[in-house]
Amino acid sequence: MAPCLISLLLPLAAQADKSPIASAPLTRIATVDWTIAETLLALGVTPLAVGDAGPYQAWVGEPRLPAGVVDIGLRTQPNRELLAELKPDRILISPLAAPLAPTLSRIAPVSTIALYDGQTDLWQRLHEVTLTLARMVGKTAEGERLLAGLDRDLASMQARLPADLPPLLVVQFIDERHVRVFGRHSLFDAVMTRLGLRNGWQEQTNDWGFSVVSIEQFMTLPTARLVVVDPIPVGVSERLQEPGLWQHLPLVRQAPVLHLPAVWSFGGVLAARRFAGLLSDALLQDAQRMEASR
Amino acid sequence: MKRLLTSPLLRPVSILLGLTLLLAYWELARQLPGALWWQSLFTPNLDDVSQAVVHFSWLPRLAVTLLAGAALGLAGTLMQQVLRNPLASPTTLGVASGAQLALMMVTLFAPSWLLLGREWIAMAGGSLAMALVFALAWRRQLNPVVIVFAGLVINLYLAAISMGLLLFFQEELKGLLVWGSGSLVQNSWSGVSYLLPRLLAAAGLAVVLVRPLAVLELDDASARSLGVSLQHLRFAGLGLAVFVTACVVSVVGLIGFIGLAAPAMVRLLGIRQLGQRLLWAPILGALLLAATDLLLQSLSRFWPVLIPTGAMTALLGAPLLLWLIPRLGIKSGTPKANAGLLVARHPAPARLIGLLLVGLLLVVVASLLFGQGMTGWCWPSWLRWQAQLEWRLPRSLAAGAAGVLLALAGTLLQRVSNNPMASPELLGVSGGTFMGVIATALLLPALPLPLVGGLLGAFACLLLLVVVNRKHGFQPERILLSGIAITALFEPLQAIALANGDLRVQQLLSWMSGSTYYVTLPVAYGLVGLALLMLAACLLVTRWLDLMPMGAAVATALGIRLNRAQLAILLLVAVLTASATLVVGPLSFVGLLAPHMAKLMGLVRARWHLLGAAASGALLMVSADWVGQQILFPQEVPVGLVSTLLGGAYFMWCLRRL
Repeated sequence: MAPCLISLLLPLAAQADKSPIASAPLTRIATVDWTIAETLLALGVTPLAVGDAGPYQAWVGEPRLPAGVVDIGLRTQPNRELLAELKPDRILISPLAAPLAPTLSRIAPVSTIALYDGQTDLWQRLHEVTLTLARMVGKTAEGERLLAGLDRDLASMQARLPADLPPLLVVQFIDERHVRVFGRHSLFDAVMTRLGLRNGWQEQTNDWGFSVVSIEQFMTLPTARLVVVDPIPVGVSERLQEPGLWQHLPLVRQAPVLHLPAVWSFGGVLAARRFAGLLSDALLQDAQRMEASR
Repeated sequence: MKRLLTSPLLRPVSILLGLTLLLAYWELARQLPGALWWQSLFTPNLDDVSQAVVHFSWLPRLAVTLLAGAALGLAGTLMQQVLRNPLASPTTLGVASGAQLALMMVTLFAPSWLLLGREWIAMAGGSLAMALVFALAWRRQLNPVVIVFAGLVINLYLAAISMGLLLFFQEELKGLLVWGSGSLVQNSWSGVSYLLPRLLAAAGLAVVLVRPLAVLELDDASARSLGVSLQHLRFAGLGLAVFVTACVVSVVGLIGFIGLAAPAMVRLLGIRQLGQRLLWAPILGALLLAATDLLLQSLSRFWPVLIPTGAMTALLGAPLLLWLIPRLGIKSGTPKANAGLLVARHPAPARLIGLLLVGLLLVVVASLLFGQGMTGWCWPSWLRWQAQLEWRLPRSLAAGAAGVLLALAGTLLQRVSNNPMASPELLGVSGGTFMGVIATALLLPALPLPLVGGLLGAFACLLLLVVVNRKHGFQPERILLSGIAITALFEPLQAIALANGDLRVQQLLSWMSGSTYYVTLPVAYGLVGLALLMLAACLLVTRWLDLMPMGAAVATALGIRLNRAQLAILLLVAVLTASATLVVGPLSFVGLLAPHMAKLMGLVRARWHLLGAAASGALLMVSADWVGQQILFPQEVPVGLVSTLLGGAYFMWCLRRL
């Protein structure tokens, strides 16, 4: 644990010197990124403005955006006139919005918060990013407490889980033939590792940690357990009931599919906590059911 | 039977069949030992993984592919026969994209309607799109070139609408993205059991229709004298074709151009009788699609990118169309003088231009003064004016400059081709720019702005146009049709990018629908400078522009080297279009609208026409940009989308009037 902690702190210490963040805590923060908004809310800070506030409620869900948060339009094209009028202290973006940085920085200083970069260990990035944000808003203690709480929760969940669980395959349906499957560099994968679970998908993934596959590719993964994360598109679950490949996937036949309620798959600390809780609950219930039927 | 065997089709069909069988054999042998093939079809041992895959995925996919290919071949043949148009097909008449857009809208806004049956919704959409195409081409007696032209334009228009939907409902529509680009992946027999009975019914009806439809090879008068109700017959034939297309679209999405390729090949190989064509075109269509699909399956093992088969056939289809245009011996009838645009000359054009310029200035200032803020609509104030100078001025300037560039391009095209329907996006240069940009963005993401790629694409496209059309002396209508065939390429490319679910695509999407969002002030000033420079360049060639509409003979007699002048103007148009496209995206229709406005105001001479069109183009784009920013505040509708929706509607209206 100790070397891990040190490696966590090192890049942060280096960063702290470079960035002009350290001074007064920021209160008026605008962001185009849902994950940043989610993390801020977790730290007890209400962002001033968020991009795509309407869809946020549908796709991220928890935690809900407070009513006062201003919607600044599309995440890829936040409304600059509105932003300028709001006079934020700082604008936070993800690397995806990097082309916006030059113009947005004329409104307020822009900081890029990179959580998903497809290279470094995501769990480590998650800690760094959360602490960076926490220091920015003057809530370092809360940030550390949040992360410690997350680690503690995950550790206790891991302790409760049975030891000999099969590898898991976490998917989201695109339509009845295609799914997003989450592998290396995804939040779900990082959480599963912390829970002592194995990920059944070891193939290549994109920078956000998923790849789009058609379900026949799961035929060759017979021992994994399937976990479906909602939402499922309209009409798909009915069509999966028809006799077909899905019904005959070894994954589906050997053990019932686990369904989880919607979790923001590119989220931060809270999404990780939520996913861990939902997954371990589902696994525990499943184990009890198996026990009972035996 | 004997005649069937000696048919000239035998060799190509057997080659294609051999290829399909070989690929299928290779694919199947990789998955299962030969002894188990029969078993896995009828009584699969489902505990065996590979048998289950073959039974539930591989075999149904092959079956659906064959069925869809055959259906499209049938639909294409029917359409070509009914319309006596060798270029008619589900794709070129807009039927397929109409069906797709209808399904998309219903999924988004009224999902419960899907329970009525997807094919009926698809059919309603497809029929609507086709009716629109007919309405547009009606006055030109459904001239083959005009009808295909109108169909491809409708395709573009519908694609622009779905692009707008994608921009605002990205997460909801991600499933439709894969389906929409024609992925044939199956995982049960339900697709087959859906298509098969409907196709058999359609084939039965087609057999009944063979005799009466054959009459359509005669001209209308002789056909009528044989006692055939032409109207009912056409209605039945087209209705059947649309139904078949709708069924295919609702199962596998857009499969481009098979419906054009198969019947065209049959015809080129010398089969003339309708009965024979209705037999062979589906066979050829089925084999073509199956071979393409099997090839893609084998390829995907080496190259892990999801290429939907439908997008692939569409990619192959556009070159085919380019190749077919000169070969099918279509008479491009000389367009008649357009009565609607014969207007009285304005007595004092200079004063009118002055008024237009004042109007433009007022609109620019108003667009900077008025708008919504934190508390909704608010009155202009000094603070606001300063803020707007920073944020909105570059956008208004860029939109205006792009409007000028496109209006100039449109004026040049319309005068040279003597075709009031000409517009730069229809020349394919926009499409070429687009492809260059998307290629650089995906292959060389390191480049800061895909500008170079865009320019390269535009010029490559221009070169292609010149090569394809050189033989025919740059005949305007042919150039337009080949141009729009090139533009048709961008849909499949975009579909491939979207189906692979890359989040970067969202940015491309917003650019494709033409947003001034990323324009900075220096770029805007540069664009304005370029627009003025190009305006001056265009004013230098006004003599050509005044004389060329009088016809080739007059122009040559008056000392114009026609080919050279046309080529020079084409180059000018390419530069104009490419530079505007990089700002406002590949579609806008302003190049069509602005020259018309100028002409309706009575600006007839080339010089005044150019100036008037430039001013109206700028006026239109500045207003469209402002409307796009305010209508869904704080969301922004890209200016390209606003002007496409507006200009496209106008285009349809005046094509109908033509």
